[in-house]
Amino acid sequence: MNAAPGRPLRQPGASRVLALFLVCILTGCASIPPEVRDYGAGAVPVALPGTPFYPQQRFQCGPAALMTILAASGVQADLDDLTGRVYLQGIEGSLQAELIAQTRAAGRMPYRIDGRLSALVAELGAGRPVLVLQNLGVAWWPRWHYAVVVGVDSERDEIVLRSGTERRRITATRVFLNTWRRSGYWGFVALKPGELPANPDDGRYFASLSALEETGHRDAAWRGWQAAAARWPASRVALFGLANSEFLRDDWRAAERAYRQVLELDPALAMARNNLALSLLRQDRHAAARREAQQALALAAGDSTLENEIAATLAEIDAAAQ
Amino acid sequence: MRSMQARLFVFRLVAISLVSMGFAQVSTAGMIGTRALIEHEARDGRVAKLESLLNRQDVARQLVAFGADVDVVKSRIRNMTDAELAELDGRIDAQIAGGDAVGIIGAVFLVLLILELVGVTDIFKKL
Repeated sequence: MNAAPGRPLRQPGASRVLALFLVCILTGCASIPPEVRDYGAGAVPVALPGTPFYPQQRFQCGPAALMTILAASGVQADLDDLTGRVYLQGIEGSLQAELIAQTRAAGRMPYRIDGRLSALVAELGAGRPVLVLQNLGVAWWPRWHYAVVVGVDSERDEIVLRSGTERRRITATRVFLNTWRRSGYWGFVALKPGELPANPDDGRYFASLSALEETGHRDAAWRGWQAAAARWPASRVALFGLANSEFLRDDWRAAERAYRQVLELDPALAMARNNLALSLLRQDRHAAARREAQQALALAAGDSTLENEIAATLAEIDAAAQ
Repeated sequence: MRSMQARLFVFRLVAISLVSMGFAQVSTAGMIGTRALIEHEARDGRVAKLESLLNRQDVARQLVAFGADVDVVKSRIRNMTDAELAELDGRIDAQIAGGDAVGIIGAVFLVLLILELVGVTDIFKKL
């Protein structure tokens, strides 16, 4: 889903309360599931008052919110420069995909958090503010807005945001959840290379690293894969990802070692054996490379795509050996 | 000025899509990228989940009641593309949002959903 948030925020007032009331009647006020509303075990007020503040200009809540989480993560960025990159004049807003892309360009890894209060609390507890997408309107008349959560107060049932031109916008948790729900609880944090989220989901972390790598940020991804392999030593994907990131750095010996570790975990993983063969080939160990590739080919039997790739590896080995 | 902006916008869209096509798979001389394994595992997980649903007695009984062959349905599922599997899985998840699928939406509905998405017409033996 792509949204184009950025329209200006108006002060809350009687009209907004009335509007919310009408909305409740018209939409039947879809309820927030209990696991979303739950602050988490032992939640206490958490706040990051030191988070920098960049008041938004015109409709530019996207660049302002992104600047906030990047600066909090120690990135030296320039708001005007960022605005030029993520703000689309034609739609008076920023696309989610642009925010994600620019987070990567700034040397940070975007990681989408779970859509629940306890995830906000956990990330704030780890010192990371969370960029969220809100719909301040209704589903059929959206008013998209990006803001940054910098505090969650479970005792007073309040959320503290850097929002629009307000340094400390305090919103009742229930109201916040309703605006957040309409974006599908969309929110992300900017992770430093090799940093793990507070409550990482292994699959989502791997997918984020893989996307980081595919978009050309190989060094940052390499550090992330190291963290992943340390955190999930029994995961094929984590070890395979680390091995591939070594390979992409042209460190054939490190790659070879890492592929052998994957194969210790799962000797039948044809993909890892194919890549091991390639890392041996790069070291001019042709006989060993051919052995591994042939074994990989046998393991891949029945998967024609994989068979073709391994056949190409074998061809390359044969060509090099001549 | 306006048309210039529009052209720039289209150009950016095309540029972005070209770039993302190029990066669909990180490949340095045949290295199989990590995404391939991630997608492979996602597929295996979905197949296993659907098969465990079909292995439940109440679901299997309902399939038989509709005149469908459990083994045929299973082999259909194994032959679905990644996108089809993701859709079927997503449709079931959308109905249950956590919890016990069969308990919440009922065996009949679940079976109809599965039959619809694996392609009902030639699975039914009687109809």
